[in-house]
Amino acid sequence: MEKQLAMPRLRPEMTSGVLCAWLKEEGDTVEAGEPLYEVETDKVVNQIEATASGVLKKQLWEEGDQVAPGDPVAILETE
Amino acid sequence: MITFDSHSTDPYYNLAFEEFVFTRFREEDVFLLWRNTPCMVVGSYQNICREVRAARLWRMGIPVLRRISGGGAVYHDLGNVNYSCITRQEGGVDYGRSLAPILEALNGIGVPARKNRASDIAIGEKKISGSAQRSAGGRLLHHGTLLFDAGLEALEEISVRGKNDCVRTKGTQSAICPVTNIRPHLAEDMTVEEFQRRLLDRMVPDAGNRRELTAEEAGEVRRLRDGKYRSWEWTWGRTPAFVYEKSGSFAGMPFRAAYSARQGIVAEAAIDCPAVDGALAARLLNGARLCPEGFAEICGRLAGERGQELLELLL
Repeated sequence: MEKQLAMPRLRPEMTSGVLCAWLKEEGDTVEAGEPLYEVETDKVVNQIEATASGVLKKQLWEEGDQVAPGDPVAILETE
Repeated sequence: MITFDSHSTDPYYNLAFEEFVFTRFREEDVFLLWRNTPCMVVGSYQNICREVRAARLWRMGIPVLRRISGGGAVYHDLGNVNYSCITRQEGGVDYGRSLAPILEALNGIGVPARKNRASDIAIGEKKISGSAQRSAGGRLLHHGTLLFDAGLEALEEISVRGKNDCVRTKGTQSAICPVTNIRPHLAEDMTVEEFQRRLLDRMVPDAGNRRELTAEEAGEVRRLRDGKYRSWEWTWGRTPAFVYEKSGSFAGMPFRAAYSARQGIVAEAAIDCPAVDGALAARLLNGARLCPEGFAEICGRLAGERGQELLELLL
């Protein structure tokens, strides 16, 4: 089954953040709670943890892209 | 609030020390004060080649390091005091909450400082402190610079006039603000050591909360220093992809150079100048790692005694 993971809202006024680093590659196994990517907004680098377990099937953005809260970021293949 | 003394002014060690404390001591609030010998520190996701003139800094012997928080490039020297506040992450991004205790401590020791812009501290209209954060695993690292008695001319020269406008890239841009040192604004003068001591007395008054890393922990810090902060992969390899284009003159002749770099590896290199063997330049540069040492060697092969001059046109 596929599951989409979305960009969290890191503060109430957040309009977007820069996905600055992927910490897992496509094909990697990811456990819920494990760091998956980093987002920079307002001079804060936020490490974002996966909210589900599975295999990272697709990174939907490239490093450096602006992503809005709620937008899908990654697709996991779950059991 | 507890504190640890890094006992070092080595920037590589101190960045590793801060990261180690951030990831290791998860149950307590931690406050750190530390100073570095001259260096340039860029944000986690900044393009080094745009933020600094890397070749010129290399010639000056000023290293460039990458930190784990966001934000822009900052110049450090021994007149600048860095502080770190490590706490539990509560709620969203709020610099006001992070800056309040440090402002109170500064005011308490006679520094007429106030919060300015989103994440700065100023005296009057001039900035004395910038800050940035990292949030991971429910913990928050808030850290900042405090210009106490720093070399503002060097700072200006390197971080304001030292931008490289030949780079097209994504990545976080640094803000440029007028700055001042704290020391001339004090009613009663003190040395930087005294300033540090008095600030620490405010932030961590209880001597029982002043801890030392064990020998094993200090060993882990050194491993992190060598494995990460001194590594090409962390500092240069993480530079966002970019395109470099420069025109000017070299050895009295018209000069044009261009290349792209992705994950710190050079491609599409072209040098167009009668004084440089373009085919050899392309062969040596393509596939090369972006860094002053490697580029200096290539420039030496291409231009002999004029290697440094060529290097400063390329990086």
